[in-house]
Amino acid sequence: MAPHHAHNPSKRRGADLSAYATLSVISIFCAIPFFWVLLASIDGNASLFLQWPRELTIDNYVRIFMQEDGTRWVLNSLFVVGTATLIVMVLAGLGGYALSRTRAWWKRPFLYTILLIRVLPTTALIVPLYKVLLTANNWLGGVLRAIFGNGPAREILKYVGFIDGYLGLILVLATMQLPLALWIMKTFFDTVPRDYEEAALMDGATMLQRIRRVLIPLALPGLGAAGLFAFISAWGDFLLPLILLSSPDLQTLPLGLFRAFLRVNTIDYGFLAALAFVYLLPAVIAFGFARRFLVQTFSGGVKG
Amino acid sequence: MPWIQLSYERRVAWQLRLILLPSVLLLLAFVIYPAVYSIYLSLTNEALTGAAALKPRFVGTRNYARLFSDAKFWNSLLVTLIFVIGSAVIGQFVLGLVSAVLLRRPLRWKPIFNSIILLPNAVPEVVAGFMWISMLAGGERATLSRIVAFFGIPAADWLQTFPLTMIIIVNTWRGIATAMILLTAGLSAISEEIYEAARMDGATPRQMFTRITLPLIAPTIFLYMLVSTVSTIAIFGFVYALTRGGPGGATELISIYIYNQSFTAFQLGYGSAVAVVALAFSLLIGVVYVRALKVEV
Repeated sequence: MAPHHAHNPSKRRGADLSAYATLSVISIFCAIPFFWVLLASIDGNASLFLQWPRELTIDNYVRIFMQEDGTRWVLNSLFVVGTATLIVMVLAGLGGYALSRTRAWWKRPFLYTILLIRVLPTTALIVPLYKVLLTANNWLGGVLRAIFGNGPAREILKYVGFIDGYLGLILVLATMQLPLALWIMKTFFDTVPRDYEEAALMDGATMLQRIRRVLIPLALPGLGAAGLFAFISAWGDFLLPLILLSSPDLQTLPLGLFRAFLRVNTIDYGFLAALAFVYLLPAVIAFGFARRFLVQTFSGGVKG
Repeated sequence: MPWIQLSYERRVAWQLRLILLPSVLLLLAFVIYPAVYSIYLSLTNEALTGAAALKPRFVGTRNYARLFSDAKFWNSLLVTLIFVIGSAVIGQFVLGLVSAVLLRRPLRWKPIFNSIILLPNAVPEVVAGFMWISMLAGGERATLSRIVAFFGIPAADWLQTFPLTMIIIVNTWRGIATAMILLTAGLSAISEEIYEAARMDGATPRQMFTRITLPLIAPTIFLYMLVSTVSTIAIFGFVYALTRGGPGGATELISIYIYNQSFTAFQLGYGSAVAVVALAFSLLIGVVYVRALKVEV
């Protein structure tokens, strides 16, 4: 820690200058890759290298939505990640409330388990998870085929299938965000005094009424934080869509970007950069909103 | 009315269990059960294609025996270890600490620096990989080559020549913010009076840093190390997008090795054995973490 007000003003100015210099170097390191994506995306002759665009164009962006499947990728991503976030908010809101209010013996073991689940790497879980989903998917496919016949069953599986279907990806993405969200909501409800609920109880409100009229309005800031973190993390995830999706219809943005990049002989950096920027933007906006919760959330888990 | 009181409390207890149930079911189905199931899978010759896909057999500890003599497995452990130490323990930590300490000064541009350093944290994994393919490209026109040319260092094909160092740099870039946020929280808990007193006694800034700041944020540093280690072991996306584990396994992190064994070589049983090792490592660190956290419930 550096002194806030050294006694010698000239010494302090020197220290401030070196602070500016160091922070500038770190900031340039952090910012440079963004310049390339931004500049290449509006450059008619974009290349792999950072350069000032000679002719500005929005052609790359137009192409994403007009010629390529960009619209579908964006809508798929928004649908999958949006639904997963919604599920996380509802489940973590309810579960966090229960964890905060219960006095049962399983409270402490449950909270420990949640923390331990958070450290399990998804990459290590992916193989058994894939097997589990595959088995569930085959079983479900069998049932659907028996009822609806082959053709319609395939259409339905696109939505409710566990492998190469929306439902599987949504549920798994939501589950991976649940531990942190439950933790955020539990600590959040710990700070909400029970008086409010007791007042509602006195008025004869049922559990559902209490949740709707008292707890949801009180819980909104916590739900906002939990939802934002779930969205950012699910939006940025690459492994799960990579393994769980294969049909072009279901492609999400990370897969669209990754596969567009693999078309080696026709690499078009302007197009890729524009696509990367489209994919990046929602995450940065969400992060902007989440910023004020960052310290609480991280330090909440770190207070000894 | 003690009897009514009791039944009311029991009803609430059941309601609380009921609203927690959906979360429990999801975690059981998609985390706990797969984790346990991976131990079983690792004892079979389960595969995605071929004869073993139709009729997987129980092979006992054969996968683990193979693991033990598999040079590529040991390589992936070593690569992961260097990656964790280089990026989480050194890179992110040092730059995060420097940023946190410097940003405690009342600088005019503080919010701008703060935002810029936080920015990489928001970047999706594939985008991070893509951005750095440009930064680290080979040849004299690539950004990194141009920067180092400033210092008289010749251009190189960075991802081919120094692959592991490069992914360490990229991961450092992604994670400075996490370290900075945690350490800022730790620093803000230290009261200004301690520094005031030390200054009275004529302590130099360096002495104040090593004798006051570091010892007082040591618990925060410890927790940061645990958190960042487990999250760094889990990294897959941006490295896969950048190098796919290559060249020649130089960046084949354990997560990428699991993926390649299971979904490129289609050997789910063997991939599971590797995954069980990764799970065991993470759980071990997790237990230390939970004990250090002293959760108040």
